[in-house]
Amino acid sequence: MPTITIDNQNYEFEGRPRLLQFCLDNGVDLPHFCYHPSMSAPANCRQCLVDVGMPQMNRETRESNLDDDGNPIIQFMPKLQTSCSMDMTDGMVVKTHCSSDAVVRAQKDTLEFLLINHPLDCPICDQAGHCPLQNQAYKHGPESSRFEFQKVHKPKHVDLGPNVVLDAERCINCTRCIRFTSEISKSNQLTIIERGVKNYPMTPPGIEFDDPYSMNVIDICPVGALTSKEHRFGARVWEMSKTASISTVGSKGSNCYYWVKDNQIMKVTPRTNMSVNEYWLSDEERLDCDRFNKNRPTGPTVENAEVSWEMAYKAASDCLTGIDGSRALFVGSAYATVEDNYLLTKLATAVGAPTPVYLAHVEEGHADGWLKTDDRAPNSQGCERLGLHAADVKELKARITGGEVDVLYVLEDDIVAAGVCTAKQLKKVKVILHHYHTTNQTLPAADVALPAAMAVETVGSFVNGDLRAQRLRPAKSIAGVNRTLSMEIGKCRADAHGTPFDKWYNESNLVNCQPGWVSIPEIASRLGHEMQYKGPRNIMAELAESDSGFTGATYEAMGEFGVSLEPIGVTA
Amino acid sequence: MADFIKNPVVDLLDRNPEPVFSGKDLSFSKDEKAQIMKWVSSYPSKEGAVMHGLWLAQEKFGFLPPEVIQLVADEIGMPYADTYGVATFYTQYFKEKKGDYVLDVCTCFSCQLCGGYDILHYLEDKLGIHKGETTADGMFTIQEAECLGACGSAPMLQVTNGPYVNHLTPEKIDALVDALRDGKMPEFESVTLPQDEDELGGNRRTDVSLTPTYGVCPVSETLS
Repeated sequence: MPTITIDNQNYEFEGRPRLLQFCLDNGVDLPHFCYHPSMSAPANCRQCLVDVGMPQMNRETRESNLDDDGNPIIQFMPKLQTSCSMDMTDGMVVKTHCSSDAVVRAQKDTLEFLLINHPLDCPICDQAGHCPLQNQAYKHGPESSRFEFQKVHKPKHVDLGPNVVLDAERCINCTRCIRFTSEISKSNQLTIIERGVKNYPMTPPGIEFDDPYSMNVIDICPVGALTSKEHRFGARVWEMSKTASISTVGSKGSNCYYWVKDNQIMKVTPRTNMSVNEYWLSDEERLDCDRFNKNRPTGPTVENAEVSWEMAYKAASDCLTGIDGSRALFVGSAYATVEDNYLLTKLATAVGAPTPVYLAHVEEGHADGWLKTDDRAPNSQGCERLGLHAADVKELKARITGGEVDVLYVLEDDIVAAGVCTAKQLKKVKVILHHYHTTNQTLPAADVALPAAMAVETVGSFVNGDLRAQRLRPAKSIAGVNRTLSMEIGKCRADAHGTPFDKWYNESNLVNCQPGWVSIPEIASRLGHEMQYKGPRNIMAELAESDSGFTGATYEAMGEFGVSLEPIGVTA
Repeated sequence: MADFIKNPVVDLLDRNPEPVFSGKDLSFSKDEKAQIMKWVSSYPSKEGAVMHGLWLAQEKFGFLPPEVIQLVADEIGMPYADTYGVATFYTQYFKEKKGDYVLDVCTCFSCQLCGGYDILHYLEDKLGIHKGETTADGMFTIQEAECLGACGSAPMLQVTNGPYVNHLTPEKIDALVDALRDGKMPEFESVTLPQDEDELGGNRRTDVSLTPTYGVCPVSETLS
């Protein structure tokens, strides 16, 4: 197997990997700006320079020349090479900044050049704290600048499009954003204009940067030149906690991080999962923040009057006591987790009702073959696997308006907004509703309304449209639950080191809601059907055992990146 | 560049300019299209023809407003954004309307030492405009240029991306402006270095008469 020597250490490799990527994969932290693993390497930032050599070869014998000690003589290239564009070959010897003073000096000088016209407005820059330029200037850069002249001023706060704002002064012209639009999203909306010190990325005249994936350039920008219009100046990066979870606007289940400050979702950024979304997120997934923060209920209600959780559970169980099971209708939800839907089916069975149905939320023509899907709910596949089927809206309507339903149990959905019936038509029906928002149109008709934890507040799992079971982790806490004690939550600095007396510590915006895996067993136990689960982890473990549709989908197996499930037809 | 050094501010370009050309005016003739396709086919990838295409468009329309750049991009079949980036990179592509004759006076090191700024200022006084401006009759535009690669014949200027006028003096400027007013472009002249004339009796390059490159003005191979 071919070998390469990096900083006097030998590595074996296969194929022809690029040197920079190989170094990064093997823990050699080479500084770089313009290189991105998914795109071409133009080698224009010059930050990843290394010293590269090959064993000197005797032209006649075709063997390596040896020095006095019997070691091969290494012939280094006359100039330093950009490792991002360097293909590896057998016998190559590489010196990085760890072992070569020339490389240290080159990286330092490159940074000095990059910083000549950089405004150094880090104190007000959104990128500060997770800025490659800032980090690398601290790590590898010069102590100060020798450029004591006026810096070039370029356009600031330019709206490139509906979601992206440009600060051209901060740009170091790495062209990652341009390569993203030309190689990844293929919208070709950005270019570098002008030349020399005057150049900056821009859309050509008459073109707006309205790519549905435009906000990816914000993440890949190694400086704060491209920022989000929505999140700009919203929160510093160290004030937020970052929780690895999945996006829930469609059935793709793109892996993402939810960034939370003061229990509010501030932004959503992609999490690399090469089996699902690679490095990217669509703009609609990124802008999916307000839903979690606004119009949230303040507590459970019975007959539209706020009550305690105890009373609400009691009222709900009263509604389900002594009913004719065939005249009860349970509606599951493609927005709710597999676990919650599973518990709902158990509850339905317990009261003798038929298997729940769910409402499909399909928007024809929304899909683009990439991350956007026609199915606008995250867990339709999970429902299908549990034996729930998409409801025929007309049939449901006929049943409800025809007086065939006495009790309607709606899990985390909005049956009125879905067009099944009007709130008035539900007057004679006992309605139990788990709801996310006070804008839920079924709410006025609900006899018992239980605020439900949304995908960012609960523990659970979703099955995406490509049959991949993935876990949700709670990014924000809910009222009455200590956020660090709740399972697998992302910690921010305040969680790790803070006390309640720190000024950044905040208990505001806690929503008084409960996840389905808490509230459904509560109702069931009041009906005399104990559901003995410690938490969703146990529920999923039971499902993985008992249900062939979920074989192998335990929390341990799903881990960070999820597991692929077998198609139902094969296993059933 | 001098002004930029004193006040280094890059202004935001007009992102939604009024189109200058539209409708039938904004199109290439059949011959021009054929010429562009010929260039496209002569490069490994079609993007190679972009500079030829832009040059042809500039010869035809006089300058390159965004809609013309879009036209070139569509003709070649490459992204408008990339074409726009190329057009703004090169100062020889005019992004706004210029005079009939654009006088690029070199003020880079060699020309500067030999009086390039004197020539520039003489020209400014003579035409009554500053550099970067166009005379009221729309005939002349004066620009300050960086090195045009003719240091041996400094100070010099270039007329509308075409012939060089070498060894400038105020008298030569007067004659040049008069000639241009009459519509006479200066002839291309092949210049040798003074020391060569001493050493080799006039011209070290004995192949001047044989090599077309040395004897022909490097203008574009456009149709008009």
